[in-house]
Amino acid sequence: MEQLLIFLLLIVFLQTRIMNLKNAIICLMLQSTIIAGACLMVGMDGNGGWHSFLPTILTVIFKVWVIPYALFTVVKKLTNEQEIDSGINVNYSTAAAAFFVVLAYMLIDKMLPGMGSRDILASAMVLIMTGLTLIVMRSRAIMQIIGLITVENGIYLFGMAITEGLPIIIELGIFLDVLIAVVILVILTKRLSLSFMTTDTNVLSKLKG
Amino acid sequence: MQQMLYILIGLPPLFAALAITKCLSNNMLHWFNRVTVLIIAGTFARMTMLLQPNRIFTDGTFYLDALSMWFLFIVVTLYFVAGLLSKVYLDKEATRGYLERKATFIGKYYALFTMFVWTMFLVLLTQNLGLMWVCIEATTLVSALLVSFKHTRSALEAAWKYIMVCSVGICLALLGTIILYYAQLTVLGAVKPLDWVWLKQNAALLNPNLLEMSFLFILIGYGTKIGLAPMHTWLPDAYSQAPSLISGLLSGALCACAIYVLMRNMVIIVPAVGIAFILNLLYVFAFLTVAVAVPFAIVQRDIKRLLAYSSMENIGIMIIGLAIFTNNAVSAVLLHLFNHAMIKFALFFLAGTIIQEYQTSNMMRIHGMMRETPYTATFTLLGMFAILGMPPFGIFFSKFTIIMEIFKSGQYLLGSLFVLLLAGVLMGVVYHFLRMLSCAPKRKALGELLNFSSMAILLIMLVSTIAISTCLERFPYLQLLLSSATKIVIGGTVL
Repeated sequence: MEQLLIFLLLIVFLQTRIMNLKNAIICLMLQSTIIAGACLMVGMDGNGGWHSFLPTILTVIFKVWVIPYALFTVVKKLTNEQEIDSGINVNYSTAAAAFFVVLAYMLIDKMLPGMGSRDILASAMVLIMTGLTLIVMRSRAIMQIIGLITVENGIYLFGMAITEGLPIIIELGIFLDVLIAVVILVILTKRLSLSFMTTDTNVLSKLKG
Repeated sequence: MQQMLYILIGLPPLFAALAITKCLSNNMLHWFNRVTVLIIAGTFARMTMLLQPNRIFTDGTFYLDALSMWFLFIVVTLYFVAGLLSKVYLDKEATRGYLERKATFIGKYYALFTMFVWTMFLVLLTQNLGLMWVCIEATTLVSALLVSFKHTRSALEAAWKYIMVCSVGICLALLGTIILYYAQLTVLGAVKPLDWVWLKQNAALLNPNLLEMSFLFILIGYGTKIGLAPMHTWLPDAYSQAPSLISGLLSGALCACAIYVLMRNMVIIVPAVGIAFILNLLYVFAFLTVAVAVPFAIVQRDIKRLLAYSSMENIGIMIIGLAIFTNNAVSAVLLHLFNHAMIKFALFFLAGTIIQEYQTSNMMRIHGMMRETPYTATFTLLGMFAILGMPPFGIFFSKFTIIMEIFKSGQYLLGSLFVLLLAGVLMGVVYHFLRMLSCAPKRKALGELLNFSSMAILLIMLVSTIAISTCLERFPYLQLLLSSATKIVIGGTVL
């Protein structure tokens, strides 16, 4: 498990530096694969029969395959789309991620002391916080979607670690919601690029006050 | 009872599927919609006969008690009215609004509208807190498509902000729900996960520290959906860009559903954590929400945004009523939810009519409505009085009770400040509305577009708030429903 978490943190740091949309999606795929691996390990520890492997299967199908595939289809149609590269922004994001690692451990120790899965919980917190900063700091629509899924992944990992799996029906509902959310966001992104000629969300500034 | 639930759950998706396949002509769609609405309303009426207000119905998945019946009453009433007004509204949009040259969109509109209401039914019917979260997120997704329905740039912008802000907020509510489940696991084991009834019976056993943390996330999460400041940024955008009937539903029904889920979670969390911790948080958020609404309402230029900020004011009032947490206050909050839903829906419909008459939503370009469009103007004036809480309209009674309860609970400073803030919103609304209604007409309106049947419906809505607020004892069923629902929120034992 420790090795997986180290990889996960590595990928989170990578995510704060990647500006190319395609690479960012590949990074998201890797992140979801690691989450699936973590689910598998939690599932093997528990003894709930076949249903303890359901989270792994669902994660692989939805988050490793369907969602990145949907994102790829949009990115292919966009031309010349890249996050505006400003070195300061990137370095700040990475520094923020590093700060979040420390903060996450402090928070977990304070809020849920004496948990066996302290490292997993801390990594989950890092995922949530980094995802939030991605949504706030990045302006490309695709990058914001990736941030949202990162937050979701973090919450999911957190849930897996402390509860060893939510009830099946709720888990199915969550996956369905995430899937539909991504589909709708992809549709909106397409419309963005149609009517604004760009997917830079900074153009969305007409509605104020 | 079971059959009634199946109709409530089964019929809307059926109609939505029929509407989206485009196999019906527009005229048929209007008729099918009316039939669906009537059947749903009839089903609900039958449910009220089958279920006494002080009883509950449960089959493990679905759960109905006085609280859910009260909210269902609000949502079904709004759905009924919106369904009846749809044809008038859509026809006008199809002749000279955003639906001109897009006649096939009516099917899509009906499908989304029906599914939106359906997801709200699910929120109110489910017994499981986890599934409630799933359904609330589903309402966001369906309504996001409705917000972007006009296909303009601003609608797209509003939808993007709506879905981004609300999804992140709702994700935090999921975190809170997961922590709640963990609290349940450590004490009660994995039986009946997140089952509301089971949790309520054992609420006092749960670990208070975990619950405090859980409530923080749940309040921020569902608070985003309710529209509490500072997570309200999506609210004026979404309300102003959605089709007018949908704005009314967003403000009246969806906000009520989010408050409902917050109430359900509070019932679980209060016994272990104690009330003080929760109340302070609610006070802060409620106060901030009203305070944020004041300046924006005063300098507003867009009529639907003005109504959105007035909704925020009312949300603030309801949350502060919830924060006082006395019997009178909570019952006034529930009543206020109904009054606000009715009146705000009527106002949004009127705003839609005004936009259709003047072809603009900019209030600075609308003058002299009293002379140009007398009926719309009269109803707008009535609606304005109603939403600001002038007697005899229902909001007066509920708002007055809530403010009185603030003072009764000894918070004089807070109460006076709150009244001052409310006066600020009142100033903004009165100034803008009266300026639109009076003055000399400068631009020619397209003419009076409010027809007789819509006027009758609007009048019934306004009068219903008066009737239910002033002579509640004449409606024994509703009175018992309201008092049982209040008991459930306060933590009495209506089980």
